[in-house]
Amino acid sequence: MNETTQRINRRNFLRGSGLALALPWLEAISASAGQTHETPKRFLSVYHPDGVGLPLKNDPAWHDWSWFPRGGERNFELTKVLDVLEPLRADITIYSGLSHPDARKVHGHSNADQYLTGAATGGHGPYKNTVSVDQVIAQHNNEATRHGSLVMSTNGGIGGPRGAQTQSFNQAGRPIPAMNKPKQIFDTLFVANGTDAGAKLARSRSSLDFLIENTRSLERKLSQRDRRKLQQYLDAVRDTEVKLERAQKWVDTPLPDVDIKNLHLDSGPEEARLYFQTMYELIYLSFFSDSTRVATFQLGRENGGGPHNLLSKAVDLGNAHALTHDVKKPDGWKNLGTYNRYQASEFGRFVERLKQTPEPSGNGSLLDNTFAMHGSASSSFHLSRNYPIISAGGGNLGFENGRYLKYGTGNEDNQAGAGIVSDAGWRGKVVAEEEPLALLFTTVLQRFGVETDTFAGVTGTLDRI
Amino acid sequence: MPTKPSSFEQLKQEGRAKSNFLTRTRESIEFDEIPKADLTQYHDVVAPLLKSKCSACHGADEDHANLRIDEISPNLLAGESVERWREIYKVLSNSEMPPDDEPDFALTGLERKQLVSWISREMNKASFVRRNTTEHTSFRRMTKSEYNYAIQDLLGLPYAIGTGLPTETASEDGFIKNSELLQMSAMQFESYRNLALDALKRVTVRGPRPEPVIYDISMPEQMEILAGAKNATVFNQSKDDYEKQIRRPHLFNRETGDGISFSNGSVKPNKTAVDATQSAASPVVLALNASQESKWNLDRFLPDNGMMRVSISVGRTTMDATEHASVRLIFSAHTSNNANFTEVISHQDIPVNASASDPEYIHFDIPLSEIQRNPFRKLATDFPRRDEFLHFRNVSSTRNRKKPLQLHIDHVRITAPFHAQWPPKSHTDIFFPSKNSNDEELYGREILEKFLSRVWRRPPETSDLDKFMRLYNIFRSDLPTLEAAMVEVLATALATPEFLYLTERVAEPQQPSQINDFELASRLSFFLWSSIPDRELLRAANQGGLKQSDALQKQVTRMLADPKAKRFHESFVKQWLGLDGLNSITHITDTELLSAIKQEPVAFFEDLLTRNGSILEFLHSDYVVVNERLARHYGVRDVYGPHFQRVEGNPDQHRGGVLTGAAVMAMNSDGSDSNPLKRGVWLLERILHDPPPPPPPDVPEVDLTDPRILEMTLKERIADHRNKAACVSCHSRIDPWGIAFENFDAQGAFRTQIGNRPVDANSILFNQQPLSGIDGLKRYLISDRQDQFIRAIVHKMTSYSLGRPLTFADRADVDTLAVQLRQSGDGLEDLIRLITSSELFHAKQKIGTIHE
Repeated sequence: MNETTQRINRRNFLRGSGLALALPWLEAISASAGQTHETPKRFLSVYHPDGVGLPLKNDPAWHDWSWFPRGGERNFELTKVLDVLEPLRADITIYSGLSHPDARKVHGHSNADQYLTGAATGGHGPYKNTVSVDQVIAQHNNEATRHGSLVMSTNGGIGGPRGAQTQSFNQAGRPIPAMNKPKQIFDTLFVANGTDAGAKLARSRSSLDFLIENTRSLERKLSQRDRRKLQQYLDAVRDTEVKLERAQKWVDTPLPDVDIKNLHLDSGPEEARLYFQTMYELIYLSFFSDSTRVATFQLGRENGGGPHNLLSKAVDLGNAHALTHDVKKPDGWKNLGTYNRYQASEFGRFVERLKQTPEPSGNGSLLDNTFAMHGSASSSFHLSRNYPIISAGGGNLGFENGRYLKYGTGNEDNQAGAGIVSDAGWRGKVVAEEEPLALLFTTVLQRFGVETDTFAGVTGTLDRI
Repeated sequence: MPTKPSSFEQLKQEGRAKSNFLTRTRESIEFDEIPKADLTQYHDVVAPLLKSKCSACHGADEDHANLRIDEISPNLLAGESVERWREIYKVLSNSEMPPDDEPDFALTGLERKQLVSWISREMNKASFVRRNTTEHTSFRRMTKSEYNYAIQDLLGLPYAIGTGLPTETASEDGFIKNSELLQMSAMQFESYRNLALDALKRVTVRGPRPEPVIYDISMPEQMEILAGAKNATVFNQSKDDYEKQIRRPHLFNRETGDGISFSNGSVKPNKTAVDATQSAASPVVLALNASQESKWNLDRFLPDNGMMRVSISVGRTTMDATEHASVRLIFSAHTSNNANFTEVISHQDIPVNASASDPEYIHFDIPLSEIQRNPFRKLATDFPRRDEFLHFRNVSSTRNRKKPLQLHIDHVRITAPFHAQWPPKSHTDIFFPSKNSNDEELYGREILEKFLSRVWRRPPETSDLDKFMRLYNIFRSDLPTLEAAMVEVLATALATPEFLYLTERVAEPQQPSQINDFELASRLSFFLWSSIPDRELLRAANQGGLKQSDALQKQVTRMLADPKAKRFHESFVKQWLGLDGLNSITHITDTELLSAIKQEPVAFFEDLLTRNGSILEFLHSDYVVVNERLARHYGVRDVYGPHFQRVEGNPDQHRGGVLTGAAVMAMNSDGSDSNPLKRGVWLLERILHDPPPPPPPDVPEVDLTDPRILEMTLKERIADHRNKAACVSCHSRIDPWGIAFENFDAQGAFRTQIGNRPVDANSILFNQQPLSGIDGLKRYLISDRQDQFIRAIVHKMTSYSLGRPLTFADRADVDTLAVQLRQSGDGLEDLIRLITSSELFHAKQKIGTIHE
């Protein structure tokens, strides 16, 4: 056990554990942030590679192991894949018929990159991505929290072009490295670091002070008219100063203490359950302590390889990626469905935890103020259409749950591309008409207060939300 | 056959004889006149109609819609009443007023037309006046590209660093230097600060020279390995499939005649490499035919940053002047199934001029931090795959089918990071050797003085240095070295308004209306180099007398000869002709053709400038400036290679000048076919500087579901639209110009038929002048519109040189320049010299006013 862990354990020991003791701290932090009455709006997107099981209707597995529910908007019936979410039925929405148009004919392996961006990242040649929806929200939040966003994945880093291991891309379309080690994430969020962030900020401040003074002396040498033009520059410098002050405030504000009883900071993907629960718990704690309001979590990378293949060990199954290839083998659909069911259950556990936690501002539960998505950029085998998406919460943001929302036309039973285990799937003709997923993103952005009516070049919002 | 018309050359002479600029009677010059409100027509026609038809409801007794028609000023040019008139215009032109249920007040067709056309004319005049009287200042932020060039020139950085900065939008006259549009936001300001620090850290170094990674690819070695393999299939002339084999990439021993099929290899760093070149040409070479490439796995040893130099010893097997050969570099990685990328990393293809028997090294310098790398290269495990690949591609045109041109490569060396010297020049330019280098205070001031004089384009004052040294001392207290602290100070200097903005200081008492020598130096360099002045220009300014004609023209000559002048050619031509329009077209998918189409107008401009050729040649020239690809598009024969060259034109090709370039045709099309309206507007805006008013609000759409309209040809549809009362006043001034271009399709190819109907490119201008196709259009411009075109280009270039839109107050200066240009013979270089010597160029910004 290394030094940091010891220290945490000692602190944990001193403070005891449980929510009761966390409360006095809560008051302290919200008072120091000066935002006692503002209720944060939070965004989470969880991505899982490899899509979901989509057997054909005449397959005996269809009834139990097709991912999408049966039935209509309100009277939908969950199959065995999602039945673990039945207790949360009123808190979730399931979507079908959504996808990013530019990727519909690109191999599913290449598409984790564009799930939150909607960019035309393509299948080969030069590569360029654009900003992801979570980062638009983070930018909009404008340093209201210590961390603009929490970016996590099981594999960590950025991955490669068309083989992303992060869901988040900055304003310039560059990948933001994801953290994958629970301890590293915990330290980033809750343990003071020894870097020279403070010194760097101080230098920036000196530099800004200098620029303001220097600009004043220039001003005297300019005509009245040009001074007005220069004012814009001064305003920009002052805005930057304000931003620095906010950043400085976070340097000066003590880090929150959090209850770590559910954390297994040394766990890795090979202990799938512990690891999963720890990662979700870290998101929960970062939201609860208002350390950040935006998080993304990518469970594995497309195309297998690396730690995420181990995640299916949680349900005693082999290599996660192979499950999608083996659906036609005995129990194939059931195995893939079981793994997807497990993913849904962990998401459900997290949602339940948000639901059970009252919002510190008193405005409902954490879940009411959080929009949490769970989905993939392919449905059936490498097919980049009809993304399987679940969202939860967001009641206070105007989201009405308890529904199965089908979009598009020509694929009411989710049979387009179903049952396919060859490249004929993703290469095949697009028969069903689907709505751009960007419409949902624009709706989400608007609910978070971002003034926009487009995302990824698509204008408009998603109806019925 | 009609009698032979005058040649273009004769027309130029005839047109010149008609010039008012040459005879210089100021009154007869009528472009850009200040419009006056037409109150006569108002009192005679408009007011009586309004009184009888409208004032019952919108008058003294009743004021429906809060409108008193008798109280709105008829002088729209004064500004106050324009919005009210716009509303009235809308309801009248849409026939919404007077209401249908008031037959007593109905307007006849003629009456409505009289009202609508008077309001429309006055609104257009008002908008013109507003544009031309708005105060514009030359005090402006640098544009994105100026910033990038300035940083590169200043720091010796060989690539652009600020490509992520927001791009500027062009102003109404097409230029992006308009002060009002160059805003500064907090986000942008932060980008400047971060970019500057980043750039400074890249060009300065710490510690000893880093050991480079060197790869040597030796073809004899590769051949030895391959030929020694068990199943090696060596081919030579005796084999049946020889002809087939040599058309594949292969290794070839020129002494024995043995070949072996080969394209992709792998190579590890060479730990013992010493000399950068091999002594003698080897007998074994890698042979690549046109469009073939060789791909090399470099594993994962290339460093993250610094320059990668790729030196290739290469020659060509045939030396036919009609064939062209060059090499392109491509970088790629394939990290796992479907996760891959390939990217061209060479800025441009490098020509191969040596013969295969006597190969020469060509060198590519690639900044490793700026290209897409394999992000997995540092993984401890081997999946996803960590290796990176470099490809050399033979980009050639080959004609000889029997013996196609091949490239023979015998040795390749890759060095990274590559440093020609240590510390690099970019470092010693900032941290230069000094006898005071042990005295931080003194040395610090020396560094600052040198750096600031370039950054601020004037020598800093002692008080400036004091201020910066105070900042230095603050930074120095928590940074380990002078260099580390100074880099932070210099980054701050690069965020000052004196760097980011083009400033004019308040008048100095002795010369109240003129900019000083340093400001002149800046104006010159932003005009001709799109960047800050170099040291020599600043030296000239410092010596004083830069304003004197001799000294000034000496600098202009030097600046035009500098490679940096290419930025002026590109950015002026791009903005003048609106070539950005080509970036959004999708109907030309041949990238080589599209790139040639984009380059042609710039190449034409450069050719003309080098010769100080007549500006009228933009309207028509008896030559074309094309490269091989574009020549093929135009049907011009015997042009070889990717470089642009001036070749004699042929009247049957209907080319010559910028009007008939594929660029103009392609960007002014609707994707599948020509668009005469866009082409007409383009000609009026860009060539004649007589922009038509913007379309009115609620302009009726052409109804494409109407079967009557669907049956019409495009020209008929336009005519049909033009015949609507609300449209005729503008369209009759635009469409005929555009119709004259109908012989060119959306790709800019010449055509005589559209579908199975012959092209009808005849039209009649608003002034009843008939135009017969493109040649007729050119003939008319050359014989009757020379002055207007000359004045237009003088206006455009003057505006570009000053970095601001011109106003009424500048009219006399522009006229004077036009007169001088006409008298000196219309030379393009003359125009640049005239502008740089002009009073306007040396003057502080005047404020535009209307002289009634």
